[in-house]
Amino acid sequence: MELYIGGYAQGKLAYVQKKYPAWETIDGAKEEFAGQEGCGNRIFNHFHLWVRRHLEAGEDVEKLVESLLAGQPDCIILSDEIGNGIVPVDSAEREYREQTGRMLCELAEKASHVERIVCGIGEQIK
Amino acid sequence: MILIIGGSASGKSAFAEQTAIARGRGMPLYYLATMQIYDAEGEAKVERHRRLRAGKGFATIEQPREIAESLNEMTEPGTVLLECMSNLVANEMFGEEKQKSADAVADKVVTEILALCQGTRELIVVTNNVFEDGIRYDASTMEYLRALGAVNCRLAETAETVAEVIAGIPVVRKGAL
Repeated sequence: MELYIGGYAQGKLAYVQKKYPAWETIDGAKEEFAGQEGCGNRIFNHFHLWVRRHLEAGEDVEKLVESLLAGQPDCIILSDEIGNGIVPVDSAEREYREQTGRMLCELAEKASHVERIVCGIGEQIK
Repeated sequence: MILIIGGSASGKSAFAEQTAIARGRGMPLYYLATMQIYDAEGEAKVERHRRLRAGKGFATIEQPREIAESLNEMTEPGTVLLECMSNLVANEMFGEEKQKSADAVADKVVTEILALCQGTRELIVVTNNVFEDGIRYDASTMEYLRALGAVNCRLAETAETVAEVIAGIPVVRKGAL
């Protein structure tokens, strides 16, 4: 698994699609990551929004991430970095930031390759 | 001094602890806790950090303000891990009835951190990247951002090593780890 992270609108998807033109992109803002097993190579975009949707549905995101990786061990995951701001007043917003950050730490630990993208330029950090 | 910066849930604490233990080499290990607990969520956060540190040999000193006074609690100079600068700056800025200015807080905190650094074998400071959400906050929060930003810049000038932790991965911005 490879992980690509960065701020909003930093050209992450274009960067990854250029690197892997034949791979299919799944949009975590509205599509499901799980259940994509055995369908070839996948780019899972907007990981943070996928986390958010499942948190809002009251689901265990850690378990969902585990099963995603079990079914798609060689996938590519893209996520915004959302933790670089003032702690939100709203507790659900805090939980979203906290869970997304923790999941990104776990993904980075398991990933074979991690890049952070700024202005469309990748910096390999693992 | 080693300065470690990261966003919320970036893995900066776990990395800072590893660094403190690696640098400690048998010296006393002190953990300077700056967070004041107001509610159950704060308690849970502190409890989580205590669990992470358990069994690693840290002596915890609670020092939400006046950080150099923590030297009085140390029996001998050792490796000191301060967590987190964002809380210390907030406590110094909003701790009294009247909010202090960013300049006054930054001057006080930097002076005290340098004094603390003098009295320790190795000082590791954890700070928070709270600067990139693009939101225009109220005047007092913007003043707080300026204070923390100034403290971070000034400590980074003095520190031999500055590392940014991204998704648990340390990226060296100054010096070497």
